[in-house]
Amino acid sequence: MSAALRLWGAFRRLWGVIALLLGWQVAVEWSGVNSIVMPGPLGALRDIVAAPGLYLAATGQTLWLAAAGLVLGMALGTGMAVLTWLSRLLGGLLTPLGLVFASVPVVALIPVLARLFGYDTRTVLAIVSIISFFPSFVFTGSGLRALPPGSDDLFRVLGASRWARLRLLAGPAALPDWTVALRLAGANAILAAMLAEFLMGSGGLGEIFHAARADLDMNRALGASAIATVVSVLCFLGASRLEQAARRRWG
Amino acid sequence: MSPAQAERLRGLALGGLGIALFLGTWEVVGRERLLGLSWPALSDVLALLLNPARWPLYQRALSASLAALGLGYAAGLGAGLGTALLAHAARPLRPGLETLAAVIHAIPAIALAPVMILLLGREVTPAALAGLATFFIIYVSASSGLGAAAPVLHDLIRVLGGGRVARLWRVELPAALPVLGSGLRMAAPAALIGVLIGEWFGAPRGLGVLIINAMQNFQIPLLWSAVLLAVLVSLVLYGLLGLVQHALARRFR
Repeated sequence: MSAALRLWGAFRRLWGVIALLLGWQVAVEWSGVNSIVMPGPLGALRDIVAAPGLYLAATGQTLWLAAAGLVLGMALGTGMAVLTWLSRLLGGLLTPLGLVFASVPVVALIPVLARLFGYDTRTVLAIVSIISFFPSFVFTGSGLRALPPGSDDLFRVLGASRWARLRLLAGPAALPDWTVALRLAGANAILAAMLAEFLMGSGGLGEIFHAARADLDMNRALGASAIATVVSVLCFLGASRLEQAARRRWG
Repeated sequence: MSPAQAERLRGLALGGLGIALFLGTWEVVGRERLLGLSWPALSDVLALLLNPARWPLYQRALSASLAALGLGYAAGLGAGLGTALLAHAARPLRPGLETLAAVIHAIPAIALAPVMILLLGREVTPAALAGLATFFIIYVSASSGLGAAAPVLHDLIRVLGGGRVARLWRVELPAALPVLGSGLRMAAPAALIGVLIGEWFGAPRGLGVLIINAMQNFQIPLLWSAVLLAVLVSLVLYGLLGLVQHALARRFR
């Protein structure tokens, strides 16, 4: 009984995705055209099962670059936000600049960065870091300043040092906002890494996609994008869980 | 001058100084070739951007991109609002629609672009990607906005003898507008990214085409000026929609 209930719950969540995939596959079968013109979900799945090693290696590389870039960018952004919190001068200088950059379509900068750093794996890392930097800087900065009313005065009256106020008050207050930045940046990191790999042809899922498109192997191209999609959705869901936990604990 | 005014003035001055320092560093790094030939001086980029001989080029690219952006934005807005209303009216459909929207949003645009080129053609792909990006943001903000009205107001409508339509029209839609406003604003840069990526896959013209061609042909100042143009367009749209958001927030809060 409970298994049936759980199945029903899963169906309620997933009916849209299932309908999309089914409709697509049916359309492919019906039109009867070659997979070069119209690849279907089953064809992509067959290709993944047929060459697991290739996909695994590429996914590993993209995932590694995305994770390393995410950690680097988040660390830099968080560190910078803390610096601007500690120094009013730095805060005044950098906050408007950060806000301008946060509303810039950073993806448009990928070609510039690719030219600047060279067509290289390290460039992918730099691009993912820069894309992760802005949300963490903006969200951490606003979190550090959104304190419960009166709490900052209390700390001052009790003679707490700046460091103590950061560690005991502003830091915990900023954690929920920080996890929002992680959720936004995490899902984007995979996609940015894949886009950079695609534009520069530097290994990973993006290059599989690039090469498969050039060979008109649309099933493989679709397989690479399907894996990127699944990984990106999983990152988003994982980060959402973390955000809820942080809100319960520090919100 | 009151302390609050002095504080605001100080913030403005420091912020302006920060931006000026950034632009100055850009210029010096470019002049002195500190980062090689791929980093042009700001003045060179601006000179190229302001060179009237280049304007027809920018204008062709910009008008193609803006047309795609407008079309995609309008379509995404309509679809996002429609889906949010559907999910609002038919509760059982909601979890599934939410997952579908999240999955569609997570599909890498570079993966969708080739499929869309096959299905819709090269001309429409940038607009379609912009539409998808807009759709997700509008759907999320509209559906959270539609649930934002205070339950007391629902009771009031019922007491006054209003049905579901009256409730939607008089309570839920007005309550949704401020949240929708921030969605409208955030969707603009996202839609522009959709247009650019769509154009990278071989649209006949547009800002994205200009950027990718300049990148591949090592036309560094042209590359930077095209990217700067894209950034300016994004900032202007973001600012204009910010005004809309403020107006909605003030009127309907």
